[in-house]
Amino acid sequence: MILVRAPLRVSFVGGGTDLPDFYKTHPGRVLSATINKFVYVLINPTPLIDKFTVKYQKTEFVSHPSELEHTRIKAALLDLNFVKSGLEIGSFADLPAKTGLGSSSSFSVALLKGLYAYDGKNLNKTAAAEAASRLEIELIKEPIGKQDQYAASFGGFNIFQFNSNNSVDVEPILVDYQKKSDLEKHTLLFFTGITRPASIVLSEQRSKIEQNFETYKKMADSVYDFKDKLLKGDLRGMAAMLHEGWQRKRMLASNISNSLINDLYEGGLNAGAWGGKILGAGGGGCFLFIAPPEKQNNIRESMRKIANQNQLTDFKEIPVRFINSGTDILLNNQHQTGLV
Amino acid sequence: MIDYIKKFIADTEMVLRNVPAEEIAKAINVLQAIYERDGRIYIFGNGGSLALATHWVSDFNKTVFSHNLEKHPKRFQAIRLPTTEEELSAWANDVGYEMVFAGPLQNYLQETDCVIAISGSGNSPNIIKAVELAKTHNVPVIGLSGFDGGKLNELADIKILVKTEKGKYEMVEGVHAVILHLITKYFQDYFDHLVR
Repeated sequence: MILVRAPLRVSFVGGGTDLPDFYKTHPGRVLSATINKFVYVLINPTPLIDKFTVKYQKTEFVSHPSELEHTRIKAALLDLNFVKSGLEIGSFADLPAKTGLGSSSSFSVALLKGLYAYDGKNLNKTAAAEAASRLEIELIKEPIGKQDQYAASFGGFNIFQFNSNNSVDVEPILVDYQKKSDLEKHTLLFFTGITRPASIVLSEQRSKIEQNFETYKKMADSVYDFKDKLLKGDLRGMAAMLHEGWQRKRMLASNISNSLINDLYEGGLNAGAWGGKILGAGGGGCFLFIAPPEKQNNIRESMRKIANQNQLTDFKEIPVRFINSGTDILLNNQHQTGLV
Repeated sequence: MIDYIKKFIADTEMVLRNVPAEEIAKAINVLQAIYERDGRIYIFGNGGSLALATHWVSDFNKTVFSHNLEKHPKRFQAIRLPTTEEELSAWANDVGYEMVFAGPLQNYLQETDCVIAISGSGNSPNIIKAVELAKTHNVPVIGLSGFDGGKLNELADIKILVKTEKGKYEMVEGVHAVILHLITKYFQDYFDHLVR
């Protein structure tokens, strides 16, 4: 049995510049951090059950991977030529899917790291991120970038730079525990209760990259400014940058924001948040705010009220801690051979 | 005599000033991730460096939590290799001295773990063997070396090189001990902070 754990992530600045339509012309850059919410993938050989068993929200029980409905697992198994039946794959998560915290890519990284381990191969962080990107972008044609796969694989606070030759530079940001804990104390994360697949927003966004090129350039270049503020512990400065970034991002595609999303955001600001943004592609997902601790109860109340008025029954606050872990194989009790 | 002492101190001070702060920060990040995922830390070296490895185990497993031991049920799991003299002599006598660390390491090593290898020259064959084993598992290697870093500094993911003239073991080992205490102090402050 192999158990793999991959963290979700919060992206602060630069989201969208990881799309090839942009980084083929100008380096894309994203600054993000992993949080203590995880996706787990469990892979178990079942020599006595001559089937593929795949368990997620539903359970599939098929003779060949090509019969699977789960697109990522199906594509990964077929691509790796894992067609010999007698294999069980299960997926578990701390949070629902499509919350804007990068969970689908975290799942892909965990899945591939696990499948390779099942095959006796060990993927390093870059290889795992690349394998997951290939699965999602090339094999199942998601219109997404590579920031989430890299964030999940590496873990911690990082700047990822996406180069025109498709390589990715990873620069870890060395934040000490005091700054990190100060940021945590000033951070509020709310799941709006609205879920949407990133692909809907991103498809429109991609088609308009050329006309919004200067905006993307500013977003990509702003990561260093954000990094400086992060290292100095300038929380107000970071909040202002998130706010600015969110204002810019709203202009990039018509469905990134809507009146309900705007109401929620304004509700947070009016209740005392210094700044914030929506996480993920947009259209739903989570709101991240940076706010002084004494205003946080105000903000909670205000957000909850707006959510209730709009029947967002799944609305909830997500307590968050930033972590350094990336995607890890927590358990691997396959027979290992040939290691020395 | 006083001049001799002052010169030694001045030389050590110079070496200490050039310690790679960024690499130490990266090592702290790796150790933090190991703690988060309940991984283990294997530490080893030869001679004085083996003494430092043992010292590190004690500081990591207890000292960093010692202000609030009862409030930290989850602690570091640092292990010095080999864990017993019997293993050390068995591997050295039966297989060869170059296997005294890699041999026992293979019994334990999981992908969630990390390795801290300490070698003044950076070229001890037994250290390099164990580091190579760790690399085949994609386990992060923190290398503490001296002189020009040798092979250890080339192979390590985190390159803590205490640069000196060749042969200045006394300086390298002294500064390695300072780095050990720096990292210990960082985590002690961090775990104190978590309790507050």
